[in-house]
Amino acid sequence: MSLLARNTLIALGITVVLVGTVAYAVNYLNQQRVVELSAIEDQLSIDTLSLDTQFSLLETAPCDTASSTDLTGELTDLGNRLSYAESQLGSANAEVIRLKEQYSLLEIRDYLITKQLAAACGTKPVTVLYFYSNAGDCADCAKAGYALSYLRDAYPQLRVYSFDYNLNLGALKTLITVEKLRDALPAFIINGKHYYGFTSLADLEKNFPKGALATTTATSSRP
Amino acid sequence: MSPALIAYPFLFVAIFFESFVLVTFLSKPARDARRRAPASGNYPKVAVIVPCYNEEATIGGTVESLLALDYPQDKLEVILVDDGSTDATPATMRQHREQPNVKIIRKENGGKYTALNAGIAATDAEIIGCLDADSFVDPSALKEIVPCFDRAEVAATTAAMTIHEPHNLLEHMQNAEYTFGVTLRHALAAVNGLYVTPGPFSFYRRSVVQALGGFREGHKTEDMEMALRIQRAGFEIDNAPRARVYTKGPRTVRTLVKQRTRWTTGFMRNVLHEYRDLVGNPSFGALGLIVLPIAVLAIVSGLILFSLFLYTSVANLIVMISVREGIPFGYAFTPSLPRFDWFYIPSSLYILLGVLAAGASLVMIAMGKRLSRSPQPLSVGLFAYTVLYGLVAPLWLLRATADVALGKQRRWK
Repeated sequence: MSLLARNTLIALGITVVLVGTVAYAVNYLNQQRVVELSAIEDQLSIDTLSLDTQFSLLETAPCDTASSTDLTGELTDLGNRLSYAESQLGSANAEVIRLKEQYSLLEIRDYLITKQLAAACGTKPVTVLYFYSNAGDCADCAKAGYALSYLRDAYPQLRVYSFDYNLNLGALKTLITVEKLRDALPAFIINGKHYYGFTSLADLEKNFPKGALATTTATSSRP
Repeated sequence: MSPALIAYPFLFVAIFFESFVLVTFLSKPARDARRRAPASGNYPKVAVIVPCYNEEATIGGTVESLLALDYPQDKLEVILVDDGSTDATPATMRQHREQPNVKIIRKENGGKYTALNAGIAATDAEIIGCLDADSFVDPSALKEIVPCFDRAEVAATTAAMTIHEPHNLLEHMQNAEYTFGVTLRHALAAVNGLYVTPGPFSFYRRSVVQALGGFREGHKTEDMEMALRIQRAGFEIDNAPRARVYTKGPRTVRTLVKQRTRWTTGFMRNVLHEYRDLVGNPSFGALGLIVLPIAVLAIVSGLILFSLFLYTSVANLIVMISVREGIPFGYAFTPSLPRFDWFYIPSSLYILLGVLAAGASLVMIAMGKRLSRSPQPLSVGLFAYTVLYGLVAPLWLLRATADVALGKQRRWK
C-alpha cells in the first residue's frame, strides 16, 4: 500500500473515531442532563407530596409550618434547566416531553397547594398561569416568556407557572377546561382573571392587581 | 435544513485534512526530512534573485541578511533586479555594488516574473533562489535548503516562513498563520503535495525552470504557477523546515485583504483554469487527490460557513432585541454571569466539532514553532488567530470569488 493510501485511511479512521467520540460525548452529556432532571423531579415529587400531606395533617393550623415558597424556587430552577435541555435535545425529544409532562404536573400541584394555603392562611399570593406554544403558531410567546422571566426576577413573590399548551397531559387539559381557556396564545391567568395576547411589558403589568408589583423592592438588573 | 447540518460535512473534511497532515507529519519521509543535516563540505553555487519594485524601506535589510548568510561567499551570488522602481530603491541597491558577489540589474517595469527571468539569465548557478525584497533570512537558512536538492527529482524547495517582528494583532495573527504553514508545508512535502513556492526564499533547479520556459505572469501569482508547472512536469517540491525566513506582513486589514485577494484569485484562476487537470487526478497523488480538492473546498466552505455564521448571528440578534423590547435596559442587556454548572456547558455537536478543528489548528501552530525553531513569540499570535482569522479571512474570500466570477483584474499593489 502506498504512503498516500495508508495515510489517507489512517486519517479517515482517526476522523471517524474523533467525530464518533464527540457525538458519543454529546449524547452522554444530554443523557446525564435527563438523568439529573429526573432526579430533581423525583425529589420535587416527594417534596410536593410531603407538603400536601403536611397540609392534610395540620388542616386546622397549616400556616405555621407549611410553606411552598422553597418548592416554587426549586420549580423555577427546574424550569430553567428543562428549558435548556429542550434547546439542546429538541422539543420533539421523547424524554424532554416526558420531563415536561412531569414538570407541568408539579406546577399544577404547587399551584393548587398555594391556593389552598392562601385560602387557609388568608395570604394573597399573586399567581400567573402562563400558556405558550413553541410549535411555531405563537409569534409573541418568546416576548411574553421573557417579560414574565423579568417580572419573576424583579418581583420574587410572584408565582409564575408556565405550561406548554400543546402538551398532551390529562391534568393540563383538565386545567385548561376548568379555567375555560380559549385557544389564543399567549394566554395568562393572573389571580384567576384571563388575558390573551402580548403587546408589551407595560401592558402586561397593567393586568396585575393594584400594588402587586409595587410593594416589593423591584430590581432593575439581573440577580 | 438547519445551519448545523450544512456545516457538518465541511467540519468533517477539515478534521480529516488536519488528521491527514498530522499522520503524514509522523510518517517516515517527514521524519527523515527532519533528521536531514545542513550542508557541510559540499557547497554548490547558488544565486539568490531579489526582484524589487519600490522597496526602498526594506531592500537594504534584505540584502544585508543575504550577505550575512552562513555560506561560502564565493559560492553565493546575490542578484538585485530593479523592476523599474520610481523611489530610492536603485540608490539603496547601489550601496552594495562594491560587493564582489552582488550583481545589480536595472530594467523597465514588467512585473515580478520578468525580474526573476532577468535574474536567471544573469547567472550560471544551478540552484537559484528568490527572496522578496521585504523579507530577511536567518544566517543558517541556505545550508538547510541546499541538501534538499541532493535528490535529482526535487526541482524546488520552500523555506519556513514567519512574520518579521510582528507588532499589531493583525501581524501576530499572520505570524500564527505562517507558523501553521510551516507544519503544513513540511508534512505535505513528504507526499509531494505542495502547490506554491512562496516568494520568500524558495529555491529552484535552474535547468528545470529553464526547460519549463521560465517564470510566467501566472495571474499575479508566479510562484504558484511555477510550482504547479513543476508538479505537472512530474518533479517534486521539497521543504526545509528549519530554513527560517522572516517577511513583512501587511499591517492593516485593507492591505491584508488586498494581498490575500491577489493570492486567492491567483489560486482560483490557475487551479480552476490552466491547471484544472491536476484537480482530482490520481496521477498527481496527494496533490491531485487531497490537497488541491480540499484547497478549493476550503474556499467554498469558508464562504458558506461565514454566510451561515452571519445569517444565524443576525437572526439571533434580531430575535434577542425584539424579545427584549420594552424590558428595562439594565436587566435586558446586562450580561449575566457565567453559571459554573456542568448542566449548562454548551454541548452541541456543531460547536464541539468546530472547537476540535480549531484546537487541532492551534496544535499545528505550536508544532510549526517547535519545528522551525522560530524565535518569534506565539502567545499573542495564537490569541489573534483564534479571535480574528475567522472574521477577516471571509473578506478576501468574498472579494476574490467576486473578482473571479466577474473577471475583474486588480493591480499588484
